[in-house]
Amino acid sequence: MPACEPLVGWRIIADPTALDQAPWPAGSHVVRISPDDVFLIGAAEPTVPADPHAIVTPEHGFAGASLTADEVDHTALHHIEWQLPAVRPALAQGQIAGVPAKLVLHADGSALLLVACAARHELEDRLA
Amino acid sequence: MSRVVYDGTPIEYEEGDSLALAALRAGQHPARGGTLCMAGDCGNCVAIVDGTPWVRTCQTDARPGIVVRRHPNGSHPSPGGPEQHTSVTVRHRTADHVVVGHGESGAAAAAALRAEGHDVTVFDAADGDEVVGVFDGPSVIVRRADGIDHFHVHHITLATGAAEVQPVCPGNLLAGIYTPKAAAVAIAAGIDLGTVVTVGHDVKAFHGEGRVSEVEFRDGTRVACDSVIADLGSAPRDVLARMAPLVPVEVVGPAAQAHPLPPVAEEGVLCPCGKITVEDLQGVWDKGFRDLELVKRASLCGVGTCQGGVCMPHLRSFVADRSGVEPKPFTGRPAARQVTLAEAAAGYHIDTFRRTPLHAEHEALGANLDKFGGWFRPWNYGDPIAEYWAVREGVSLGDVSTLGKMLVSGPDVVEALERLYPNHVHDIKVGRSRYVINLNERGHVLDDGMICREGDTRFLLTFTSGGASTAEMWVRDWVETWGLKVHVLDRTVSHGAINVTGPLAGELLRRAGVADDDRPKFLQHRHVTVAGVPCHIMRLSFTGEASYELHHQIDRSVELWQALMELGRPLGIKPHGLQALFGLRLEKGHVIVGQDTELDSSPRRINMDWAVKMEKADFLGREALARTANLPDERRLFGFTMDGPAPLEGSVIRVDGDVVGHVTSSWDSPMYGHAVLLGWQKRLPHADVVEIDGREARVSPVPFYDKEGARARM
Repeated sequence: MPACEPLVGWRIIADPTALDQAPWPAGSHVVRISPDDVFLIGAAEPTVPADPHAIVTPEHGFAGASLTADEVDHTALHHIEWQLPAVRPALAQGQIAGVPAKLVLHADGSALLLVACAARHELEDRLA
Repeated sequence: MSRVVYDGTPIEYEEGDSLALAALRAGQHPARGGTLCMAGDCGNCVAIVDGTPWVRTCQTDARPGIVVRRHPNGSHPSPGGPEQHTSVTVRHRTADHVVVGHGESGAAAAAALRAEGHDVTVFDAADGDEVVGVFDGPSVIVRRADGIDHFHVHHITLATGAAEVQPVCPGNLLAGIYTPKAAAVAIAAGIDLGTVVTVGHDVKAFHGEGRVSEVEFRDGTRVACDSVIADLGSAPRDVLARMAPLVPVEVVGPAAQAHPLPPVAEEGVLCPCGKITVEDLQGVWDKGFRDLELVKRASLCGVGTCQGGVCMPHLRSFVADRSGVEPKPFTGRPAARQVTLAEAAAGYHIDTFRRTPLHAEHEALGANLDKFGGWFRPWNYGDPIAEYWAVREGVSLGDVSTLGKMLVSGPDVVEALERLYPNHVHDIKVGRSRYVINLNERGHVLDDGMICREGDTRFLLTFTSGGASTAEMWVRDWVETWGLKVHVLDRTVSHGAINVTGPLAGELLRRAGVADDDRPKFLQHRHVTVAGVPCHIMRLSFTGEASYELHHQIDRSVELWQALMELGRPLGIKPHGLQALFGLRLEKGHVIVGQDTELDSSPRRINMDWAVKMEKADFLGREALARTANLPDERRLFGFTMDGPAPLEGSVIRVDGDVVGHVTSSWDSPMYGHAVLLGWQKRLPHADVVEIDGREARVSPVPFYDKEGARARM
């Protein structure tokens, strides 16, 4: 398994409608963690949604690793007790090898594995 | 012919033999006696196979070089064995419809399901797929030669057939007794059973020395023999169906059919696994245990190797005879077959312990790291007393990245916080902060932390390290329950925090580029760049000294820590760990929620009424506090001092020889040269002098140190 490297991005908490309508920068990757929560990767500047109370802040708390489709399948078989969504692209969240993590599943079967930096060593050890 | 080693003696076997057949072929019982089923239903053939005990030899193929030892006579084998130290592969799979058993009924069920368009997966122990458990979920646990498969399924059909009933009468633990199918297996393998007598329920006893040589019938007839076939009917093999009461399991075939119970046994071993006799059962019955589940628990009949495979029909017959009511079978418990500890643990992980961004720094400084509140944290750096004095007299750094840190924002945020917290929130000015406790609806203390106002509708909340995860759920749940518009961002793991503490803390910040005017005063907070790193500085004090918590993005933690350590070198800076911190805060009388508090600790009980503003119209726990305010309350947390070494935390506190409470925090104060403690007294009247570890301890007002709080404001 590849090592999880710290990721740089933006965390944006806002009304779901405002996030739905936000003009995300071209080339950026929007990870919709929940209806009111976005982790924006690959943007030099954050998008500020139309919500005066939105929380927009740099996010350095995640580490990530790109997984091939085979690596996703292997991880799911041996380390994920829950069923991955059949429809892709999708965001899957839950414990992987007992560590809270997220899988940004791409249409081609590959994925971006996200884990809190604080837990990445633990996850890497368990997936090794 | 190949050979296996059985109890130290090589014995020959033929291709296709199980270990049990190999033993029979050598003229031996595979274990130490008892009826053989050769179908995996009983525990009468279990042995230690290649170091793993409790292995059913009738279900294990003989292989060259395999080493078998019988279990110790009269005792259980130790659970050790090479497999216990081996990681077992686990696979998580999904299946639509699972059928367990591929006999006649199982095959028919699978065919019917497939005809209906279902995707069907069939397991059968004969194919190496041994289903050992069914759990709510539903999930089916399958043991295979190469690991354990956890199947997450939608539908389960059990077609596990029926097990043959074994005889219960004197002598039923002798060798040479077979069920009809077991005898057929042996005969088909070419094993000569000698003179065979077939018995039914007319058998009274078996006689012989180690091996049956004579059968005694109820009519008094005695017949000499070499082997006995006990043809006593069948019972459902349905333990898997009884394991998960919430899972809809369809049972088909003989496993679902009603089988008549055998005649009640009058004497003999009813449970061969536990050597439990009919007389033992009668003793349990006579003590008043009348329900089948209770008889099982009181006698342990049914909790052994076979999980009731042998004893269930006889046990039910016993209870039916005594009570006049035929009881339903008792609940099944995983695992249906013995699994090794490694197999049971396959796929299980211990809790995740997180690392702060300064983990490597701590290791480089020689820290003794401990697990605390879900994190690896420095307990000390080798000299906790030196760390203590660095805080009291100089300057020190503490890694408090583990603190819960939550941003909340929204038009209803003040309303939400007023309802959540028992103190006033609306009057906290921007740039100011306030210490707060969190209460549950019962008025019991859940956690504590700070509220920092960042704007009219934006606050930063902090929580204890161990309480952070719960706090997020707590805030989210209540905000949603109340329908208030509040955004929540838990940034515990994305922000680090370094506590700069000690009388020289201000000087260190000055050296790190923070102008005196930019340094927040006590209970203020401010966004300031420190040593080139953007920080949100919170001025508070847990140690009792001037303290500045520097909150920052975690990608800058190492840079900030190293800069402060370098800049602080002329000031004699030392990092401090939890051991020193706990002593420092104890001298100030600060409680640690969860250590000094109990699940039902109200603010009054821990002397923190001052943190509750009952004049507020409402807040979580207010109603409970109002209702109980005037009730006598014998529980109270006290400060104590005592000479001599500090007692262990948890030590009993006595008054007049009676236990009245226990010590929650204890520290040999370097400042005072005696022990300072926190502890509970739970009996009125509260005493001024108590006994701890046989020594006198005196109630002492807290804080012990700097009662005016001047040092924190320096």
